[in-house]
Amino acid sequence: MPAIADRADVYLERFNDALARAAAEPTWLLERRKRAMERFLQLGVPSLKHEEYKYTDLSALADGQLLFATRPGSAEAALPSYVAGGASDAGPQVLGRVPQGARVQSLAEALRAEPDLVQRHLATIADYEDHALCAVNTAFFSDAVVIQAERGAVLDEPIQLVFGDGPQGSLPRVLIVAGRNSSVQVVETYAGSGAYWRNAVTEIHAEENARVDHYRAQVESLDAYHTGRLQASQQRDSYVSSFSISFGAAVARNDIGTRLNGSGCECSLDGLYAVRGDQLVDHHTSIDHAMPHCNSHQLYKGVLDDRARGVFNGKIFVRPDAQKTDAVQSNKNLLLSDQSEVNTKPQLEIDANDVRCTHGATIGQLDSEAAFYLQSRGIGANRARNLLTYAFAADALERIKVAQLKEHFESLLLNRFASQES
Amino acid sequence: MLQIRNLHVSIDGQKILRGIDLDVQPGTVHAVMGPNGSGKSTLASVLAGRDGYEIEQGSVTYNGQDLLDMDPEIRAREGVFLAFQYPVEVPGVTTMYFMREAVNAVRKHRGEEELSAGEFLKLAREKIGPLGMEADMLKRAINEGFSGGEKKRSEIFQMAMLEPRLAVLDETDSGLDIDALKIVADGVNSLRSAERSFVVITHYQRLLNYIVPDYVHVLSEGRIELSGDKDLALELESRGYGWINDDVVPQAVAGV
Ligand SMILES: Nc1ncnc2c1ncn2[C@@H]1O[C@H](COP(=O)(O)OP(=O)(O)OP(=O)(O)O)[C@@H](O)[C@H]1O
Ligand SMILES: [Mg+2]
Repeated sequence: MPAIADRADVYLERFNDALARAAAEPTWLLERRKRAMERFLQLGVPSLKHEEYKYTDLSALADGQLLFATRPGSAEAALPSYVAGGASDAGPQVLGRVPQGARVQSLAEALRAEPDLVQRHLATIADYEDHALCAVNTAFFSDAVVIQAERGAVLDEPIQLVFGDGPQGSLPRVLIVAGRNSSVQVVETYAGSGAYWRNAVTEIHAEENARVDHYRAQVESLDAYHTGRLQASQQRDSYVSSFSISFGAAVARNDIGTRLNGSGCECSLDGLYAVRGDQLVDHHTSIDHAMPHCNSHQLYKGVLDDRARGVFNGKIFVRPDAQKTDAVQSNKNLLLSDQSEVNTKPQLEIDANDVRCTHGATIGQLDSEAAFYLQSRGIGANRARNLLTYAFAADALERIKVAQLKEHFESLLLNRFASQES
Repeated sequence: MLQIRNLHVSIDGQKILRGIDLDVQPGTVHAVMGPNGSGKSTLASVLAGRDGYEIEQGSVTYNGQDLLDMDPEIRAREGVFLAFQYPVEVPGVTTMYFMREAVNAVRKHRGEEELSAGEFLKLAREKIGPLGMEADMLKRAINEGFSGGEKKRSEIFQMAMLEPRLAVLDETDSGLDIDALKIVADGVNSLRSAERSFVVITHYQRLLNYIVPDYVHVLSEGRIELSGDKDLALELESRGYGWINDDVVPQAVAGV
């Protein structure tokens, strides 16, 4: 058994507390939690020896201290401006009004109102059997946000969740169920201060012909570890988009995947990461084409400065039944320094013959000719660098359809290098 | 306005300019001609401040200041403009955004008010119309997918927006048909004034029918071998450059 054994005590002790707190939960959920705990104890926090984690050192998380340490709730200052005022010590905060046709409930509320729905989907979409970090979350999360879009409901405003500081914030759990023909947008923002480990899991279930646009904006403290999992399950003709913004955290690892369970599905897994100093950002995506006539698109763009490191691994599975699959994957990186680096790797497993799968990865530097061109018109050197950095990311930014979110990160990129002039 | 004295420049240890002397007075137009590889673009790039050149000897004084000591953006704000021989494509940045930043950087430097979006657009429309381009061009990424002629006209548009004091045009006429050439020449001529000077690099005497120069210089192997008035361009047109390095007495040919 891996390294967890000698450290199991901390987790086990906490787990008994967690079970005591969760005593009122239905048996099926307690069973899932116990199984998740069992798997976690067997798997342990992944080490660098694990093929899927070979660039991402999570050894500081192994003893659970960073996860369970109580933290002061003082997130106000660290929150991005577009969610200002949305901080809460008590756990996730839902911003603004919930649009007509949607329900946003706590786990207890949802279990009372729709026990069957919760049982069908919670902890059934994001696998914890082979995914230790998801197992930790499943075993320990104390509350969940359950978002439902009613059948046929087209929600015009995004539902915004903010995960700031506070003792409840370490293990966010979100379940999004989009009913038949519904359309819903969800924005999750993660921000905090100090050193901590946040380990988040979001599950999405998209019914037939539903549309879910999901955004996760990770602007954690630069001393934090952020591990996040987003897993979707799509029924026929549904559309799921995910946009992962990763600017914060010392180490960020996101696993983002969807399974296309019916024909005519479409998904877009996109992202933008911008890191500097000694930050590391790691995205692992996975698209499982199980059925024919489905399309998937992926565009991940990264901006890396100083000694920052980026990892991108994009898995595309095309199962034998998934004829006429159209899958496009692209990961492009801009290195702003000599010491920054990126490891990028597509991983395609194709078991059908009538498919189109394309992938491309690039790692480049700022175009010095373009920078000179801008300067030769009077634009300062740093301003030119900002413009070119922004320009590099522009097509990814275009895919962010929530205006405040887009503007916020646009402006972060446009002001990345401090102007030398007053 | 501009004094170049005994300028020696090399790239990667290879000598390109071997002692250039050139005086440009306010309000004058200087044509620079010369064979491929003679160093015309190198001279233009050194004036604009491109990286990668070693200045081995000599000096460049612009309005009493050491030009070579200024960053490229400061030169631009002080009124130096280079129309690139090969304008650079910059995907993701619109010409509108770019030019507004540039115009405002220059205005700020001169102590003038920055232009609002509305004011800028009005000015841009005024300048772009006579160049035979649609204002829609402003919404496109800088030079991206532009035809050769469009790129050259975009350079002239940028010049018109920035109102430089010294404009260096590097083969802005190359590849243009006669109509486009006239448009570009009109753009330049409309900017001619007693304070503004031009250095027009070209291979073709044809352009000089439209932009009539005060002086014509022949650059060859990194040196100005010959200077004259506009008739020198005609002479070059009929005789080529072959005779330049022979022992001709420049005055006899050029009649300066
Ligand atoms: N970046 C560079 N590295 C090495 N050599 C260079 C570089 N740029 C220019 N040269 C060389 O310097 C010489 C002068 O080039 P330059 O571009 O100034 O010539 P030009 O007179 O503008 O020619 P053309 O009429 O073809 O535009 C040429 O021999 C060229 O190969
Ligand atoms: Mg040239």
